[in-house]
Amino acid sequence: MGLRRIRLVLVVITLVVLQTTVFTHLRVFDAVPNLLLVAAVAMAYDSGPLSGALFGFAGGLCIDLFLTTPLGLSALTYALTAYGVGVFQGGVIRETRTLAPVLGFVGGIVGSILFVVIGGIAGRGELFALHNIQVIVVSAVYDAVVAYAVFPFVRWAAKTDVGRAWPGR
Amino acid sequence: MAVYRRDTRGRFLLTAVIVSSLLLITIDSGNGSSAVASLRSTAHNIISPVQSVVNDAFQPLRDVAGGITTYGSLKNQNDALRRQISDLRGQLRQIRGVGNELPELEKLLDLPTIADATGIVARVTAGAPGNFERTVTIDKGSSQGLRVGYPVVTGDGLVGTITQVAGRSATVTLLDSPTLGVGVRLTTSNTEGITVAKAGDRNLTIGFLSDSNVKAQKGELVLTSASASEAFPPDIVVGTVAGYSKAAQDLAPTITVAPAVNLDDLDFVKVLRFPDPTAAPRGG
Repeated sequence: MGLRRIRLVLVVITLVVLQTTVFTHLRVFDAVPNLLLVAAVAMAYDSGPLSGALFGFAGGLCIDLFLTTPLGLSALTYALTAYGVGVFQGGVIRETRTLAPVLGFVGGIVGSILFVVIGGIAGRGELFALHNIQVIVVSAVYDAVVAYAVFPFVRWAAKTDVGRAWPGR
Repeated sequence: MAVYRRDTRGRFLLTAVIVSSLLLITIDSGNGSSAVASLRSTAHNIISPVQSVVNDAFQPLRDVAGGITTYGSLKNQNDALRRQISDLRGQLRQIRGVGNELPELEKLLDLPTIADATGIVARVTAGAPGNFERTVTIDKGSSQGLRVGYPVVTGDGLVGTITQVAGRSATVTLLDSPTLGVGVRLTTSNTEGITVAKAGDRNLTIGFLSDSNVKAQKGELVLTSASASEAFPPDIVVGTVAGYSKAAQDLAPTITVAPAVNLDDLDFVKVLRFPDPTAAPRGG
């Protein structure tokens, strides 16, 4: 396993630990940030749509282990969101200082909507609730804030080792 | 040619990710699989010591924040609570009068009671890690004898039920989670129903009422109902009636219940071994 992959595994473990411990105490208006979703978006921005989708799948699967929603739901939504952001950034986006929070916010909105819709279709009808609109928006704002820290962390982990490349870039 | 190959591989990997996810969702949405439960249990076992440490670290911060934000209203709250205690003492005396007959009747009907359940005290170590669920994590698990379905209470009343168990931790789905319905009865009329929770609303409503013409008074106690197939022991306080309305065109009234327990501020809870696995089969 290359150093890059070890660093990426470290990112996933760190963010899962933070999400399931620290951020459960930092709930704002019923919302917590989706650290792994923001990380997947950052990965897609940095290394392309496919890397983002694979990272989102792995991270989402890890966080699914701690949720009562079906296993694979976060994995699917994070992967699709990251892939979408990766495709989008490839053609349009150029680097600015506000890019990380903007992508964090957009990723948060898209990812959460996908989570609710796919989860609802998969039998969790209670996800279709008006209150969840508020939760999605607040959570996306939270995602934008944490993106300031998550993007550099992922960028550090995703930098290519000399002589190696991440598949799918 | 190289671009074509990368595209094909990319599409293949993306399709594999989507198909794997959908497969996992399908497997876990049904009755669940033991492999998934075991994976979840392992993950919880790994994270639970960290959760305890983080919870300890956050406790003083929570206390300070709570003290600052609620200082102004503490005096008013004290007065209100004194009045409430006095009212509740009166209600308790009234309930005791009715309650004297209850154990005898329950024995006759062979219904399980709260006295049949032994409890395990547990500490709440974390809230829900996701946005769309109302759960807490406690620091006791299957190694202490906890099982999925055991009711969870505090001194004030019902908290919820255990929905996932790992070796040293468990997930409790809270009473105000839309995924949980509890069989309840109104103390005055003995009308039974099932609690219905809405996302974002801390209050519950009572649906599926056994008597659609029932009247309820604000402040009336709502307890878990007594029936042989009930998931909760009877007569645990669920909450008090916070609102009652019935429009002319309504088939049944809307009864709103304020939970007795502040579900946003839980430190210690008691898990009831109910039904007690060591107890002799009832009715036999």
